[in-house]
Amino acid sequence: MRITEAQTVSGWGKNFQSISTRAVVSDVAETVEIISMGTANRGLLPVGLHRSYGDSALNSGGTLIDLTELKHIAIDPETATATVGAGVTISELEQAALAHALFPPVVPGTGNVTMGGAIAADIHGKSHHKTGSFSQSVVEMKLLLANGSVETFTPHDPEFWATVGGLGLTGVVIELRIQLRVVQSNSVDVTEHRVPNLSAMIDLLGKSDKDYEHTVAWIDLSGDYRGRGVVSLGNYGSKSVKTSSGSGGLSLPDLAGTNFISPLTVRAFNEVWFRKPLKNGAAALTKYMHPLDGVANWNRIYGASGFLQYQFVIDEGREEIFDQLFAGLRGLKASSFLGVLKKFGAASKAPMSFPRPGWTLTLDYSVTVPGLEIFLQKFDEELVAAGGRVYLIKDSRVSPKLVPAMYPELDQWRTTRNAMDPHHLWQSDQARRLQLC
Amino acid sequence: MLNGFKNPGRIALIGGESEIGLSIVAQLPEDKSREVILVGRTGEYGLDVTNKADREKLVAKLFEGKDLDLVIIAVGVLGKDPTLSVADNLVQAMDVNYLSTVHLLSMISDGMKNQSHGTILVISSFAQVRPRDDNFGYGSTKAGLDFYARGLASKLNGTGVSIKILRPGFVKSKMTEGLTTPPFTISSEECGRYGVLALKSTKVVTWAPSILKYVSVIFKALPLPIFRKISQR
Repeated sequence: MRITEAQTVSGWGKNFQSISTRAVVSDVAETVEIISMGTANRGLLPVGLHRSYGDSALNSGGTLIDLTELKHIAIDPETATATVGAGVTISELEQAALAHALFPPVVPGTGNVTMGGAIAADIHGKSHHKTGSFSQSVVEMKLLLANGSVETFTPHDPEFWATVGGLGLTGVVIELRIQLRVVQSNSVDVTEHRVPNLSAMIDLLGKSDKDYEHTVAWIDLSGDYRGRGVVSLGNYGSKSVKTSSGSGGLSLPDLAGTNFISPLTVRAFNEVWFRKPLKNGAAALTKYMHPLDGVANWNRIYGASGFLQYQFVIDEGREEIFDQLFAGLRGLKASSFLGVLKKFGAASKAPMSFPRPGWTLTLDYSVTVPGLEIFLQKFDEELVAAGGRVYLIKDSRVSPKLVPAMYPELDQWRTTRNAMDPHHLWQSDQARRLQLC
Repeated sequence: MLNGFKNPGRIALIGGESEIGLSIVAQLPEDKSREVILVGRTGEYGLDVTNKADREKLVAKLFEGKDLDLVIIAVGVLGKDPTLSVADNLVQAMDVNYLSTVHLLSMISDGMKNQSHGTILVISSFAQVRPRDDNFGYGSTKAGLDFYARGLASKLNGTGVSIKILRPGFVKSKMTEGLTTPPFTISSEECGRYGVLALKSTKVVTWAPSILKYVSVIFKALPLPIFRKISQR
């Protein structure tokens, strides 16, 4: 075990700086040892690769338990399951599974998420309308509890569902057993369509869910905010394709803290992106699933002040809220180059899991956009009134007063969580900010 | 906790009746979910600032169960109470402006060090620049406070806790009612704006108004006879 001096840590959005110590553990025994060492009043928080955007994986004044070295992967081709350590990434699992013509049914836009993080956020991907969220493929979870015991939970246990979407506040995920799906090749057959506005996008996405395993749309939220974009539809392919090794090789250098995002640069980028040649045919599965990994450290583009990602879900039939949002953002001259629209399928049983049926929209904004904070505060209220909610793993600014309305089962989660951790050993900056526990 | 825009979620204003303090709080970026604790003489967080046990109780309560992102310490007296003797006025000013405030600063910064984050804004004064015949008693208390706060700011470097010092000149308020207004007088609203700037600034010290930074250089450099002539006007 290695314990570092107090150091500054940020989330992926770089808009928080938090000072904490870090204990890097390499096996279960060391993880148990951390608990027995006891902590001061600031508690412990299990963490992975810090891909959550805000303060979910930060614990100022406390200790982070770094699980990235829990790397074991065992694939059982008979049952098509994988037993994986908490520190295994989605990409690593994909590679191991593909060797057996298997693939995880739920993968997010980046492969650099650990298994522990995937459970803590109950991540989703382009397949949500068919497969649900990540937890729905998990058949077993080994968890280190605050009392120092390691227990195995299944989807029959409330502890399992409290941990799903539980933001690391119920215990340390040590290991998962995941049900994989059979694939015929390492490819995906992709069809892309350019759409002129939001209603065309909604129409096409809605219609395509039946026939396609993977559906998602890139939406241009700059310029006139019509919501034009590119709808991408995919099914697992049968022909294997050659894949390049690594994550694409590009890496954004340290830009000396400069923010390159302005209405002008975003508009130019989005124009090019909208006009780019459409993909049709076989594409490498992993590359298709993780477009964000094409450029490493892309979060540097927003400069030293950082950025926030705003993702919410709203029921079908409440699409008018998009007009309100776009009008407000246009008024602020706020431009996003990473707008993503997707239709969710059924929700999981987890009280704190984000996805549930409806439309989910994801936007990135520099925190330096004047008026953005107040605008989003007001928009949150409209969102709650319309029955919507924001994704907490990406949040860095929602009002704690709105969280119970967004997550109506919060109290139920708290009851299970408090029983699992009566002395509040597990703590995070986000839990403090949103008064979750 | 701070949110992703670096705006504080939980604030305490010690000196809850202070016009400057209230004005700073009022001019912080709007946030409906922010919790603002006004520490005055009475109320839930009531405090007799010169009572050591009271101060200890207050600080314990402020940090109980929740993080504290920002504390503005805006207690202070001019030491010109007509019902008190010169010596008693001096003792009171030393007690409120220096002893009690420094004690609070020390305890609050310890609480914030435990959190590994937080900011304390201290209201110092232009009066601490150079002793003037009419207010060197008050000036000496603020000089002591300012000195301590600068030392603390340096010592806390790297801990996540920051100390900001606001040095206002003459501010029109209840506290200064009836006194003659010197040049560069500002209103408490304007002073509040400088307070907000101080919180955003990367520097430890902020002057209100900014020009006082340069005035202070001149004040310090002037030969004593000239300085006395100017300062007595």
